[in-house]
Amino acid sequence: MNTEANSARRSHLLGRLFIYGSLLALAAFYLMPLWVMIVTSLKSLDEIYAGSFVGLPKAITFEAWEKAWGQACIGTACDGLRPYFINSLLMVIPAVILSTGIGAINGYILTKWRFPGSNFFFGMLLFGCFLPFQAVILPMAQLLGSLRLSGTIPGLVLVHTVYGISFTTLFFRNYFITIPDELTRAAQIDGAGFFRIFFSVMLPAALPIIVVSCIWQFTQIWNDFLFGVSFTAGQSSPITVALNNIVNVTMGRKQYNVDMAAAMIAAIPTLVVYIVAGRYFVRGLTAGAVKG
Amino acid sequence: MKLTTLLAASIAFIPAVAMAEEKGKVEGIHHWVSESEVNALKVITDKLATKGYIWQDSAVGGLSGANALQALRTRLAAGNPPTTMQFLGYEGLDWAKEGVLRSLNDLYVKNGWDKALAPQLLAFVKSDDDYISLPINMHRQNWVWANKAVFDKAGLAEPKSWDELIAAGPKLKEAGVIPLAIGDEPWQILEVFEAILVDVNGPDFYEKAVIDLDEGALSSEQMVDAFDKLRQVRGLVDDGFTGRDWAVATGMVASGKAAMQVMGDWAKGEFLAKGMKPGVDFLCFPTPTATPNYKFVIDAFGVFKSDDPVVVAGQDAWAESIMDPEVQTNFNKIKGSIPARSDVPVDDFDDCAKRSFADREAAVAGGAMLGGLTEGFAAQPQFSGVYSDVVAKFFVTDMSSKDAVQSLVDGINNAR
Amino acid sequence: MRSTLSMRDRLTHWLPRLVLSPSLVAVFIGVYLFIAWTGWISLSSSKMVPKYDFVGLEQYIRLWATPRWETAVVNLFLFTVLFLAITIAIGLLIAILLDQRVRAEGFLRAVYLYPMALSFIVTGTAWKWILNPDLGVEKVVNDLGWSGFVFDWITRPDTAIYCVVIAAVWQSTGFAMAIFLAGLRGIDTSIIKAAQIEGAGLPRIYMSIIVPMLRPAFLSVIVLLSYISIKSFDLVLALTNAGPGNATEMPSTFMFSATFRRNQMGVGAASAMMMLMTVAAIIVPYLYSELRESRNEH
Repeated sequence: MNTEANSARRSHLLGRLFIYGSLLALAAFYLMPLWVMIVTSLKSLDEIYAGSFVGLPKAITFEAWEKAWGQACIGTACDGLRPYFINSLLMVIPAVILSTGIGAINGYILTKWRFPGSNFFFGMLLFGCFLPFQAVILPMAQLLGSLRLSGTIPGLVLVHTVYGISFTTLFFRNYFITIPDELTRAAQIDGAGFFRIFFSVMLPAALPIIVVSCIWQFTQIWNDFLFGVSFTAGQSSPITVALNNIVNVTMGRKQYNVDMAAAMIAAIPTLVVYIVAGRYFVRGLTAGAVKG
Repeated sequence: MKLTTLLAASIAFIPAVAMAEEKGKVEGIHHWVSESEVNALKVITDKLATKGYIWQDSAVGGLSGANALQALRTRLAAGNPPTTMQFLGYEGLDWAKEGVLRSLNDLYVKNGWDKALAPQLLAFVKSDDDYISLPINMHRQNWVWANKAVFDKAGLAEPKSWDELIAAGPKLKEAGVIPLAIGDEPWQILEVFEAILVDVNGPDFYEKAVIDLDEGALSSEQMVDAFDKLRQVRGLVDDGFTGRDWAVATGMVASGKAAMQVMGDWAKGEFLAKGMKPGVDFLCFPTPTATPNYKFVIDAFGVFKSDDPVVVAGQDAWAESIMDPEVQTNFNKIKGSIPARSDVPVDDFDDCAKRSFADREAAVAGGAMLGGLTEGFAAQPQFSGVYSDVVAKFFVTDMSSKDAVQSLVDGINNAR
Repeated sequence: MRSTLSMRDRLTHWLPRLVLSPSLVAVFIGVYLFIAWTGWISLSSSKMVPKYDFVGLEQYIRLWATPRWETAVVNLFLFTVLFLAITIAIGLLIAILLDQRVRAEGFLRAVYLYPMALSFIVTGTAWKWILNPDLGVEKVVNDLGWSGFVFDWITRPDTAIYCVVIAAVWQSTGFAMAIFLAGLRGIDTSIIKAAQIEGAGLPRIYMSIIVPMLRPAFLSVIVLLSYISIKSFDLVLALTNAGPGNATEMPSTFMFSATFRRNQMGVGAASAMMMLMTVAAIIVPYLYSELRESRNEH
């Protein structure tokens, strides 16, 4: 009796050991590149060229971060990443709000106000999620030119909103489909109209999926490179394009520590969003992205 | 509340961008983003500033200028071209054929620039009867850069043929030195191959096989020989060459970890930046051959057609800044190349540049001035692309020389 | 009275369509019209700038006669299969382990998820060093004393594509894990208890009961990962720049270099159309079945 309980406890202990062991080993694997980046960005260039990429810095210096933020040269402009960081903010905030708002109302219509053919339209929208974007760059440039938005941040906002609608609509449609139709019908009987139901019934219930949609869109748009490099130049570029210019030095001695600091600066906003809202992320996925 | 403010702020951005088109600005797309490149560019833009124009920088780095070309394409599609753009190889000529470049004949004639340039160079700045670009420099591509201390220790001198160069390999390996530093990027490998192609088979063969893309030359035994040589060169390279930037490879030569690198003279800046002196700490000599030749690469700027007299005046100022002899001298001292103008005094350049000047004169006289294939001065990009595909694949796999020649012929025919 | 009611009815009838229409117009132009444009270019002789003539399937024939395109197609296939299989396997494993009421779950979850927040341009650079035998893992292990250890996949043309897979898996596992974890949390725990009482071990319970119940989560993961896999442009460029040689070429990088570097816009457009058709062949049936299912539900 006693030994049985003991062996059960031992096997339980072994199981726990296995679980924690695997989880920690995997965590180390996932943290490794971040470790390399942070450590390298804190080293002086001489130390890096002297050999070690992976080890701890002998003397921590924030020189590379300062340089990446305020002094690194892109072309003849030596302003660092700061102006481009602001560009990216000015681009990402309106684009996230617009695409999430439009996606929310689309999802609402496609679940609660269905009409003949609405499912077909949804299918059409969805295919936009899987578009290889290179295929639309040239016609898009022509369109932006005729709208007089070429080379501007509002132009990028427009592009990101158009190509974000597909995903946000998918998120909201899959979420709203789980809200019982009776709820909207009851509100309708009470005399609420199309917009009132949306704002006072649907939106309050949709917080988790709003967070998911915002995180997804924020990451996609902040990290976008292709649209940025195609539709802007010079001072109106987003941060990824500026990062590419700093990192892809075509000739000359590579400043690995500045590269890594610049990469970290470009990554921080999305990292912060994940760390702060990671919990909503999983909860939102439970509610929306997973069907059934 | 804050969100609306931000929205408003992003809309308020439109006039700010529109203002960039204001008077007195010259906007240029280029792909010079490293420190020495930028410092060189500053020589031109400082000159421009003395003429009262502000330089607006639209650098797009990376991918050997492909990103910059993509940016230009979309800008042209949108009807919003920059004032000027940096061109390599046939790019300028191709755009001229599309009718988007301004003819610079008036400026060339007025300033006598047409007489200041080598005739081989004119082929890339002149489209039919129109001058369409402004060359700032001339790089020489077929250089070998060597560490002098390593050479002295191994008892080596400047090799006279590729066989000699290859034969130095075992000696250097014994001394614990990597004979040849290189990266795996297709263009770095192609630089070596095209040097072998002309050094072993002569300039005439190069013209037939690379410039004319003659099928007989492409499938000839000489081509097989060139691939055989490249296979031998592969034996001089260490295994860690993947993802190695060319400048890192140059650094290996500078530090004595490797003995040699085959690279254009933009590599010189790397040695100079480390305080090393040509002839004392490092050696520069042309790739070894019995038939001396000069492979050139030019950086040139084209300007785009415009109806706006302010923009045109800015273009004139930009053109005069680039072609200014003093600007050409100072620019090239930083960039490692030599001036595009052949009438600029050479006395205060270093020994490598002086050798480049002398060789250029000899090559112009002897008809051995050749456009570099890798940077797009010998064949249209769809063909040079086939060369780089095949050569890169050959170099990193154990493809046979015969198969390589076959896929070269097939690839070129497919791209025609 | 009656007429206002019908006005209202009519408004209610048309309002949703009206509100939806701008999105539809935007997507119609931005996706379908632009695809049509690309399709047209793929049938033209366009080289450096678009040309609106007609040369039939010439560009497609040229495309399939290009060895680099074949490499790209084989690579995409290899990459997608491995990337999906490994990401799903590890993502599911982590999700199951995390579902065992572990401590510091929130922290661990954040650790697995953070790579999703980083741009491929950023992670590719870091991975390039880690995978480089002279700088990264091989050197560290060698320095620790195992001098025989070799990890030089990225230098070899036949194995470099696996390095791209490793970096891509690293980036996306967290996403798969999150979706699986959500699916697991949605499963009634009494099923597990009932099975345990009948004497089944945990691994068996998961293999034969829980995992099959995650079918919808699998579908979502496959769709989202396919999207990421098609987008694998930035990663390849930053990690291997399609090298060594052209060994890690992908259709997206091929399309980019044909169109923007080699003045073969027609070939580029043809390759874009091939990518599109492949995507459509996978996605359209999936979308169709999903939409049909949801119609049956309601």
